[in-house]
Amino acid sequence: MTDTALSTRDLVAGYEPDLPIVRGVDFRAGQGELVVLLGPNGAGKSTFVKAIAGLVPVHSGTMALSAADITAVPAHEKIRHGLAFVPQTENIFATLSIHDNLRAAADILPKDRRARRIADLYAMFPDLAARPSLRAGQLSGGQRQMLAVARALIVEPSVLILDEPSAGLSPKIVAEVFARLQAINRAGVTIVLVEQNVKAALAIADRAVILVEGQVRHEGPAAGLADDPIVAELYLGARRREAAP
Amino acid sequence: MTPQVVMDGLITGAMIGLGAIGVTLTYSILRFANFAHGELLSWGAYAALAAAGALGSVSGGLLTPIGPFSFGWALPIAALIAVAFTGGLALLVDALLFGRLRDKRSSIIILVMASFGAALTLRSLLEFIFTSKPAYYTKALQIALPLGGGLRATPDQLLSLGIAAILVLAVHLMLTRTATGRAMRAVSENPQLAGVVGIDVRRVVRTVWLMGAGLAAIAGIFAGLLVQIRPQMGLDLLLPLFAAAILGGIGSVPGAMLAGLIVGLSEALAVQFVGAEWRGAVAFAILVLVLLLRPQGLFARPQ
Amino acid sequence: MSVELIGYAAFFLTMALSFAIICLGLNLQWGQTGLFNVGVAGFVAIGAYVSALMTTPDDPNRFGGFDLPIPIGWLGGSLAAGIVSFLIGALTIRLRADYLAIATFGVAVTVQLAALNLEHVTGGPFGIGFIPRPFAELAGNSLLFSLANLGVLAITVTLLYLALERLVRSPWGRVLRAIREDETAARALGKNATRFRLQAFAIGGGVMGLAGAVQAHFIGFIAPDNYQPMLTFQVWAMLIVGGSGNNRGAILGAVLVWGIWAASAGAISALLPPEQQARAAALQIVMIGVALCAILLLRPRGILGEERMVSRHLGKLARRAAAEPAAPQTDSQGASRAENA
Repeated sequence: MTDTALSTRDLVAGYEPDLPIVRGVDFRAGQGELVVLLGPNGAGKSTFVKAIAGLVPVHSGTMALSAADITAVPAHEKIRHGLAFVPQTENIFATLSIHDNLRAAADILPKDRRARRIADLYAMFPDLAARPSLRAGQLSGGQRQMLAVARALIVEPSVLILDEPSAGLSPKIVAEVFARLQAINRAGVTIVLVEQNVKAALAIADRAVILVEGQVRHEGPAAGLADDPIVAELYLGARRREAAP
Repeated sequence: MTPQVVMDGLITGAMIGLGAIGVTLTYSILRFANFAHGELLSWGAYAALAAAGALGSVSGGLLTPIGPFSFGWALPIAALIAVAFTGGLALLVDALLFGRLRDKRSSIIILVMASFGAALTLRSLLEFIFTSKPAYYTKALQIALPLGGGLRATPDQLLSLGIAAILVLAVHLMLTRTATGRAMRAVSENPQLAGVVGIDVRRVVRTVWLMGAGLAAIAGIFAGLLVQIRPQMGLDLLLPLFAAAILGGIGSVPGAMLAGLIVGLSEALAVQFVGAEWRGAVAFAILVLVLLLRPQGLFARPQ
Repeated sequence: MSVELIGYAAFFLTMALSFAIICLGLNLQWGQTGLFNVGVAGFVAIGAYVSALMTTPDDPNRFGGFDLPIPIGWLGGSLAAGIVSFLIGALTIRLRADYLAIATFGVAVTVQLAALNLEHVTGGPFGIGFIPRPFAELAGNSLLFSLANLGVLAITVTLLYLALERLVRSPWGRVLRAIREDETAARALGKNATRFRLQAFAIGGGVMGLAGAVQAHFIGFIAPDNYQPMLTFQVWAMLIVGGSGNNRGAILGAVLVWGIWAASAGAISALLPPEQQARAAALQIVMIGVALCAILLLRPRGILGEERMVSRHLGKLARRAAAEPAAPQTDSQGASRAENA
């Protein structure tokens, strides 16, 4: 078994102290893996990754980055431990230029590395390098997603978490984004992906975890899972329960 | 309309603009109307008064007017002390009150109410310590120098304009070119995302308080120098400050200064045509017009 | 118990109850509707001045002086304040909470300026004196006079309280509450949220005007200095201490805070020499300001306040606030987002 990059133990989390949305989740992403987190609406997938990022209060349980416990680490320091998070919405600073978006992220690096990392990312994302002083709010949906990912990569994270990066994007752009993520993963970055686009996500993932009503209901290799009846069961089953009066 | 009106308006406007920069920064990052901001001007003015008085009693030479100005070295030194002191005061009030209310996720209304209470407390404290009698930094009178074109201004006034211009430029450069400035703009737009990106939002909040208070202190000192020092001075400027910050567009530093100048000029014009008693209503009129016609202000933060 | 003490107690209660009327008006605006009025003093002033102008005898230096009976003055005062509230509300009601605060603050400043400068209407800085007082025939017997006035005020407050409670529980009041709790749902049901809010704002303003008129006739003279931000602050303190969103809380808060105010003022004047009185008064305000901030920190819902006013939508508000951009939004969503907390 590969080394663990990111793990949680019995994590309970939620916005309100008396209303846990994540209800005891054990999770593990191995070094270099691409793990996708699936589940019906309201399952708590977003809340789970936000809790890891420090944006949602943790009620109990622990989380670790490699061997280091990061449960109590404040949100703005998670990135210094190598954990980068790309939220689903509002994941770039629309009022800042592309360049300033990247520089804001690079500001936590030591001075000598900043310029080089930004240059590296411009090389990786030539679309962004084309007009760096453009205000980020004027970018298209797909370009924003690229900027958000680029921003997250500046600090050379060991783990990259993305919350529904395909949301609101056309299938062609989704394919581009996912291709990028695959490339980044192959370069050694562990990726945890929350997705509603089951098919596209499973196509690039190593492993999948299915969350229903705040708990893990299934986990295993991604290969073949798309056609596995258990996926339909968990999705449709949950939906059938939702539909029932 | 005499050109002198324009001069007077510009000078008042520059002071309002300086204070409005502080308001626009704190407003855009802390996201509530701080009714106590005016008191930072008053406290800055009084802190400088106290410090200058203390320095003057230590060494009388510090009170001798420098060159063409009406004040001695005691005042600039006292100003630095006052800026630091007012910054500390702002941090203290935030630590005791606003920060705690933010941590409890209190609504905007509670925050504004608390700022109202803090304003009254701070103002009355000044009244208690110094009484409400007007005070002055210096008894030296100033002659207004002709500048050409019918304009006249005292050296003190020109100095205020100059320093205001320098400060606006400095703050603008800081916001656009430095890491701290980027962090402030990021937090102003989206504090959650800023945290995700690695920005320590609490530290940015502290920085904003220091900057806002520092600018307010300087504006207060100039207001005290050019007019007079009273415990009510902050309250009297509060509506113009808010009007200017909103007219300029919350979060825009150049906007705040430009709007401050507009408010100052409008007040001066109003005094010409309607009479000095109505001065206070001008800011209100501007405010209502802005809120009705273009509430995002002149340099709205583009979405 | 000495006659003086009863007389003083009657005076104290009468003043406290007049503040209670203001609080009831503010409660309608804030507690029931979530509108943040930081210009209370202005609306009180309008009621006071209009009533005074209607009921004082003719004065050659000044407009007004129609020498009308007192109840007409009260009616006129509250109508005037209500109309002005309606107009101001029409302009500003869609603003988000803090912009509404700034705007209403501006209203109060402007009203005070007008009172100060329109000498031919308002008597300028000296104000208006010789305002007729209820039961003036009893003026000779101070105890009876005080008690009679207290009676008038007690009846007024009681009637007002009953009327407002009725209003709150009426279908109109229920819609108002629905709008406060979840504006989107209320709108989906076809309720024009802005119209209801405006009505509540106007009625609340009218109540404040009534209080101004009542106070004017009780004291006998008014001046612009009576209507400073301090008054607004006092009333807010009363509502917050007593419990916002609650008519009983409004009355309780008024009596309590007025009691504390009067007691501390009394202590100061008793303990300190006359030269120090002004400074001591400032210190009194400092202490009360600190106390108000403490209450906002420790128990923002006050003594009788509803739990829901503060805590129910906090989580939602915090999340929305985290997600929303910094630019102001004048849609009423903005107003309701803030008021829903």
